[in-house]
Amino acid sequence: MTAPQALVAATLDHLTRFSPFDQMERAHLAWMIERSKLGYYARGEVVASPDAGEARTFFIIKQGVIHGEQDVVRAQEDATWLELHEGECFPLGALLSRRNVNSTYKAGEDTFCYELAADDFRELLRMSPAFHDFCTRRIANLLEQSKQVIQAQYVKSTSEQQSMTSPLSAVIRREPVTCAPDAPMRQVLETMNELGIGSMVAVDADKRPLGIFTLHDVLKRVTLPGLDLATPFSAVMSPEPVTLPPHALAYEAALVMARHGFRHVLVEETGRLKGLVSEKDLFSLQRVGLRQLSGMIRKAENLDSLIHAAADIRQLAHNMLAQGVTAEQLTQIISTLNDLLTQRIIELELEADPAAREVEFCWLALGSEGRLEQTLNTDQDNGILFAVPDGRDAAAVREVMLPFAKRINLALAECGFPLCNGEVMASNPKWCLSLAEWKDTFDKWIFHGDPMALLYSTIFFDFRPLFGAEHLAEELRDWLAAESPKNTRFLHQMAVNALRNRPPLGIVRDFVTGDGHTIDLKLNGITPFVDATRIYCLAYGLKATNTLQRIREMAGPLNLSEQDAEAYGDAFLFIQLLRLRLHHEQCQLGQPLTNKVDPDHLNALDSRILREAFRQARKLQTKLGLDYQV
Amino acid sequence: MNWLARLFGEPAVALSPTQAGRLAAWQALPAADASLPLAQGRYVVVDVESSGLNVNRDRLIAIGAIAVVNGRIDLNDGLDIVLQQDKVSDKANILIHGIGGTAQRDGVPPADALLTFLEYLGKDPLMAFHVAFDNTMISKALKRHLGLRFEHPWSDLAYMSPALYIELVHRCRTLDDWTTHFGIGNFARHSALADALATAELLLALGPRMRHRQIDCFRKMRDLYLAQKRATSPLAGM
Repeated sequence: MTAPQALVAATLDHLTRFSPFDQMERAHLAWMIERSKLGYYARGEVVASPDAGEARTFFIIKQGVIHGEQDVVRAQEDATWLELHEGECFPLGALLSRRNVNSTYKAGEDTFCYELAADDFRELLRMSPAFHDFCTRRIANLLEQSKQVIQAQYVKSTSEQQSMTSPLSAVIRREPVTCAPDAPMRQVLETMNELGIGSMVAVDADKRPLGIFTLHDVLKRVTLPGLDLATPFSAVMSPEPVTLPPHALAYEAALVMARHGFRHVLVEETGRLKGLVSEKDLFSLQRVGLRQLSGMIRKAENLDSLIHAAADIRQLAHNMLAQGVTAEQLTQIISTLNDLLTQRIIELELEADPAAREVEFCWLALGSEGRLEQTLNTDQDNGILFAVPDGRDAAAVREVMLPFAKRINLALAECGFPLCNGEVMASNPKWCLSLAEWKDTFDKWIFHGDPMALLYSTIFFDFRPLFGAEHLAEELRDWLAAESPKNTRFLHQMAVNALRNRPPLGIVRDFVTGDGHTIDLKLNGITPFVDATRIYCLAYGLKATNTLQRIREMAGPLNLSEQDAEAYGDAFLFIQLLRLRLHHEQCQLGQPLTNKVDPDHLNALDSRILREAFRQARKLQTKLGLDYQV
Repeated sequence: MNWLARLFGEPAVALSPTQAGRLAAWQALPAADASLPLAQGRYVVVDVESSGLNVNRDRLIAIGAIAVVNGRIDLNDGLDIVLQQDKVSDKANILIHGIGGTAQRDGVPPADALLTFLEYLGKDPLMAFHVAFDNTMISKALKRHLGLRFEHPWSDLAYMSPALYIELVHRCRTLDDWTTHFGIGNFARHSALADALATAELLLALGPRMRHRQIDCFRKMRDLYLAQKRATSPLAGM
């Protein structure tokens, strides 16, 4: 018998679009294809099930979707916990360990699978190191590949943008927004406002630029003279704008701007408008270093320079993403710099406030800041813990600290950390407390918890000292570690709460809940890990607040296998990385930062790892559910 | 000479002793059991490329085939063979099937190619989409090059599909229509092998409806095809 070469070649071409087949030697792949059968499963048909005995077939999805479902006993409406797509293969675990599959695999839609007999699968494992590696280290491998893809993308974008010697054609980001010269000013201003753009260019029918108008001109030319908004654009614009050809270099544009005091230069090619370069575009070309930045923050003498530094932190985060820094390092770097920034703000405020200088206090970072997991859109969560000197009462100290805290909260807001909607801030009298008062508050939450207490626990129990008397925070942490394991009812309630938030089952249209066909990476991806690890650490009296640290600390008492612990950590970090990239892209586009991602916009590799990461989240939740009998 | 040959019947075909032996061996094979369940038998799904669509004038250029064994397409049980042509088909036609002049001249001598096809086929049932065309092209070639009267059991997916999916009759006519409906891809449309594979995938996709109607062996598939053919012929109802 023979496999026609054209068929092998076509199958090979198809499979090499997917991992691990893209890493395997062609001869090994051809060997596999020649031994494969092609099977068909109508929607709902069972492909493999636990009661069919030891797994005998290795499946690769040619087209369609396969759902994995947990055993029938616990199967409920959300029994699906795994969703596999074109190019993915299963079951690996069962084949590797020669056992029955754990789940029932069913066709989610009409599906074709390549099928390889178990013996051939094992032979392939021996033959192909790439295949072996994939089957035994699956998540780690996918992550590694994803990182390489990201690096490749960003390296490209930074090397293009880095230097002031780049041609303007490489700096231009978007098509310029244009209007006709006779457009009324009202319409122009509305468009600028809607699109959030800083300038408008008038062009004639041949796209020749006639004039420019920028936000900077609004005050002098529109507002102060009380301009009639029906006035045509041509009467208000700066006519005959300065233009440069696309091959001109970035620094030439910088020179033109410096010489004429412009903020924008038009890029024109053979008489037609090609784009627009702003001062901001050029500024972002200059790279910011970590050391330089932390030095700047430490030496900052006023809020203005700290506001600049905060913007630079965001720019630095982008550059680091480009260099392929891991999510763990990156979130810690962001947190460290934000810590420095906050510390400097507190120092500056202390200098101006002699009364506050007299108080022994500790500034507490809460929530994601407390966990050292800040991304680019974190609002403030903070509190103050102070000591009460003999002869004074807590209320009197609070009187001193509240206005001081208020100024710090406002300064942080100016640096781009929005004020907390829920008023979880040091300037709120409820969260500016003495050690005894904090213990009392925590005690009430643990032993007489109401729903609000459960919510607060998820923010406050992740506290970390950020400035000042650390020993006060340590004392509070020791107390909490001793008290929290004592009330199992409280832990149970926290588990119930945590399990209300389920990661999406899959990321195909049918399964995505949430508005506008999006997945909330924070709520659905990060929170399940953060919540579950917090509960376990509280239960075992562990003191870590960082989620990865918590996973490492809880592995021992929970008897987690090293592999499981690693898989949870990897999954968590991957979702963080996706979040950071999402925020970064939103920054670049000038959009508001959200955690919502459209699964259709993810590349195949990312979408696959994300599904795997959600699977890990569900696995951890299943464990939590069992341990706390939810 | 040609018209004479046609007038007085086919001249005896000159086969080498080896070729004659191969043909005799194939002929001696027992016929397939038409009542063997689908999930156990071997079916050969075939598609041909020719120099044109005129069954009287045009010649067989290539045969693509893939076997469905025990209910699954066996990627290692296929055939992709180009028949050597003394005259290359015209350019417009080459553009359709993509088998260029050189490939046509470099093909396997027709008698050997056809023997290879027969040996590959055995006596297992044949399936195609629009059997009338494939069967005629193959039968004519077998007659001409091997002197064989090819009377092999066929079934036709072009009739089975609408018989099973009456609700789609108005939307689906061509192989492309049906494969598109089932989301079946085609790695190289108008390559005999790729079309045979797509047809085989279509056959598998019809499986659930066939099971539902207890069409569980080749005989019943053939009955379904013939009944549909009668029902839709222009003479139906007269």
